[in-house]
Amino acid sequence: MNKGIHGIDRKKLIAKIAVFATLASLFIFVFLPSFFLISFTFTKWPDVYTEVFANPFIGDTNWIEIQKHLALSLRLAFFAVMLDLLFGIPLAYLLARKKFWGKGFLEDLITFTLVIPTSGFGFATVLTWTTTSGLGYLIGRGIVDIDFLIPLINVPFMMLIVHIALTFPYIVRTLQAKLEDLEPVFEQASRTLGAFPLTTFRKIVFPLTLPAIFSGGVLAFARSLGETGATMVVSSIYTTAPIAVIRWVSQFKFGSASFLGCLLIVVASAVILPVEFVLQKRGGPTFRFFSIRRIEKKILKTEKFVSRRLSRIKDVISLIFILLIVILPIIIVLNSVALSWSHDPDTGRVEGSVLYQLFGPSNYFASLLKATMVSFASAFVATYVATCIAIPTVFLIERHRLGRFIRSMLRIPLIVPTSALGLSILLLWGPGGLKLVNPGVWLIVLTHIVFSVPVVVEPIIATFEGSEIPMFEGAARTLGATPYNTMETISLPLLKRGILTGFILSFTRSLGETGATFLVMGSDVTIPPLVVNMVEALAIPAALFASTYLIALSFVLLLVFRMVTKR
Amino acid sequence: MQVQVGSRILGVSEMPDVKMLNVTKTFDKGRIVAVDHVDLFVHDKEYLTLLGPSGCGKTTTLRMVAGLVEPDEGEIYIGEGRVSGLPPEDRDIGYVFQQYALFPHMDVWDNVTYGPLVKGWNEKKSEGIGREMLELVRLYERTDAFPRELSGGMQQRIALARALAAGAKLLLLDEPLGALDAKIRNELRYELRKLVKDLELTAIHVTHDQGEAMAISDRIAVMRKGKILQVGTPQELYMKPQHLFVAHFIGESNFLEGYVSKVTKKETVIELRGGLMVRTLDKTHKEDDKVVIAVRPEVLTIEKGKKEGVNSLFGQVEKFRFEGTNTRCEIRFENGDSAVVVRPALMTEWLDVGEKVTVSFPVEKSFVFPYPKRGLREELTLE
Ligand SMILES: Nc1ncnc2c1ncn2[C@@H]1O[C@H](COP(=O)(O)OP(=O)(O)OP(=O)(O)O)[C@@H](O)[C@H]1O
Ligand SMILES: [Mg+2]
Repeated sequence: MNKGIHGIDRKKLIAKIAVFATLASLFIFVFLPSFFLISFTFTKWPDVYTEVFANPFIGDTNWIEIQKHLALSLRLAFFAVMLDLLFGIPLAYLLARKKFWGKGFLEDLITFTLVIPTSGFGFATVLTWTTTSGLGYLIGRGIVDIDFLIPLINVPFMMLIVHIALTFPYIVRTLQAKLEDLEPVFEQASRTLGAFPLTTFRKIVFPLTLPAIFSGGVLAFARSLGETGATMVVSSIYTTAPIAVIRWVSQFKFGSASFLGCLLIVVASAVILPVEFVLQKRGGPTFRFFSIRRIEKKILKTEKFVSRRLSRIKDVISLIFILLIVILPIIIVLNSVALSWSHDPDTGRVEGSVLYQLFGPSNYFASLLKATMVSFASAFVATYVATCIAIPTVFLIERHRLGRFIRSMLRIPLIVPTSALGLSILLLWGPGGLKLVNPGVWLIVLTHIVFSVPVVVEPIIATFEGSEIPMFEGAARTLGATPYNTMETISLPLLKRGILTGFILSFTRSLGETGATFLVMGSDVTIPPLVVNMVEALAIPAALFASTYLIALSFVLLLVFRMVTKR
Repeated sequence: MQVQVGSRILGVSEMPDVKMLNVTKTFDKGRIVAVDHVDLFVHDKEYLTLLGPSGCGKTTTLRMVAGLVEPDEGEIYIGEGRVSGLPPEDRDIGYVFQQYALFPHMDVWDNVTYGPLVKGWNEKKSEGIGREMLELVRLYERTDAFPRELSGGMQQRIALARALAAGAKLLLLDEPLGALDAKIRNELRYELRKLVKDLELTAIHVTHDQGEAMAISDRIAVMRKGKILQVGTPQELYMKPQHLFVAHFIGESNFLEGYVSKVTKKETVIELRGGLMVRTLDKTHKEDDKVVIAVRPEVLTIEKGKKEGVNSLFGQVEKFRFEGTNTRCEIRFENGDSAVVVRPALMTEWLDVGEKVTVSFPVEKSFVFPYPKRGLREELTLE
């Protein structure tokens, strides 16, 4: 009797300790770094103010710069998301509702741009659009100049293209998943009531999937706002906010950098969190559209015409879109590597060849090898630690009264632009702050843990909620299993797929991360920054090889991802 | 009154016949034959039911009429026109889905007036018809409710009103009452039939509930494994089943195996197992044919003790149950075969298990079918 009571007390104590340890590690490794930049800026406000607004020599030039960079980033993100929607929605519909030859391949391609380290892809895109090795081959010069600014919207063309390619999968995947959950019966009902396919889309499918379209849009927007790797490669004379943060840190302009980082965090939160909040409300919002009768008839006529005459065209346009922004860059990189393998294809000089740059005096091969080691080591450790934190966090989210709150908080590291995050880490643990860790692998690991935890948590939660774990656990308990036994024999095995998916997603993300890594890596260069450095040093053949290498790597990751996620 | 309302609104003049000629539909690259060379003719203003066990292809048949699925082979006509290749929105049909498929983001009013809206009818006409359809299903006061706020029965009526408001002349119903509980289901059947008849519509109704089919239909088409076995009025199917499976599926039957031993001008004598002889009026079999004789439990009479007579079989009571209105008695005959006898409870003597009894039936009240190639048990399974 006594012993039993004692036993219960001890169990309670252990449970308490477990909860405390999880909360503490979440706070130290995830939340603190996410918010530190803001508190840093506040505590150092006089210094920051002087540097940004009242520099004795240049006045408020820095402030003007900040506004300019932030405005470019926001314009870029906005138009990228708009175009994502334009091409992504038909594509998601195509994938969710139709069966056709090559569908699996198309889905893989879309996943591919999610897993590829972005700097390599950025280089491939530049090659495709601005050189005669790419599309320019057809007209004898680059299709566009790298600094071509799209008139009216004032967004650099190359940046827009790259951002669309890297963000449209978020729309497609979220919407496709939602559409696959949505019974086609509503669309069928609409058709039997006399609505054309396009009318059905406008009145039924669109309103019912709007939450998914929004949350896909939010993810795409966040990704675009924080994207650094590819953006640096295609940036030419333009500077987005994340690039400015990195540049200023390297010039020791910490005041401007941290102020801009703060603004990025605030702007991202201000745009994204309200949308998230509305979407998270129980049952999702009901959107009602007021149709204006007078133009309704005209719309119906157009929809009839489009449904009848042009139904195929939108599919074809979607496919051409994928071809142009995803497939073509990959093909062109591979082709260029082959062409310039042993000598420069234009001049015939050996110095311009891939082999020479890799193994010649500049010895890029050694750098690449070392970068690979650093990349894999840091990605693995970060993901491993993140997974260890993520698993108890999922139980906390599902079981603890703080669960919902923790889940919302975990959105924040995902939307904090990574260069701001890197700066935050640098100022917290690094030489700028507590001086606990010097730039290098370990600081990279600490940085990557921050965004890896939420990345791992999401798929585990999805599995948890989809697998009726509470029911099975209950069954195990009635059969006499202890809570610990239950966890080991029931919950963890059921969560395995979610954990694996999260692990892979986080690993690939960590491997491709550029913005934060730039700031915290010190001399331990990972692959994505190395590619940026190669491009900036105009070592094009080396960059070609590195991009090919990254594409091959992503391909392997994609295969692993497929193995894990498909039943 | 309602008749006039409906007819005026719908401008009912000519109703379509539906013709299906040799229609086949397969899935999974031909591995699943959902509908197998079906011919079906639905008359003008007829209430026809497709009845059959789960997975027999009823829904697929209906969806092909609606244009939601295209047949692999065969032709479908609605009225005079061939509809092959025509999308659903051009077929002018009303379709009621099993789970109703009410648009969750629209209230009752928007759901019901959806058809008129997307067909671009003018506002006055749309509102008029929406109102009248909602009054017809007695839900006009709930126009502001969202589907999730309504009971299953109400949702069903809204789904019906929505299909009707689109001006459909042909109503297709896929297990429209399947998701309701028994009591409401029984009430709504009669309402549904009355509505279709009042509005002078043609209806094709899919169900696997034979009671529902019997109560609601002008004619029933019995389906099994993608084929239509027999089409007829409820009485015809009960009185003259032309197929073993129909005798089994419509009502209930006892099946006894045997051989035709003698055919005379007047009757056919069949020898059951163990040499028992029964007589029937069947004319379709030759001597030595292997056959199955089907007798409905309610035509069998039962007497205590051993009695001699035409079609009298001697046996022993194995089970005896009181089922409310009826008693149900299972008898095992001398030859090992068994049969069920159902009698009105008030007119039956109470029998004990093990009691010796004689069971008999009139010569004209049995059906004889050729013995199925793949065996009796397989022939009667519902899959
Ligand atoms: N879209 C589809 N893809 C593959 N197989 C299908 C599809 N639709 C139907 N089938 C198959 O075709 C057969 C007939 O299906 P159908 O839905 O028409 O049957 P049903 O008579 O309506 O059955 P139930 O009473 O269960 O609704 C089934 O074996 C079913 O599995
Ligand atoms: Mg069905």
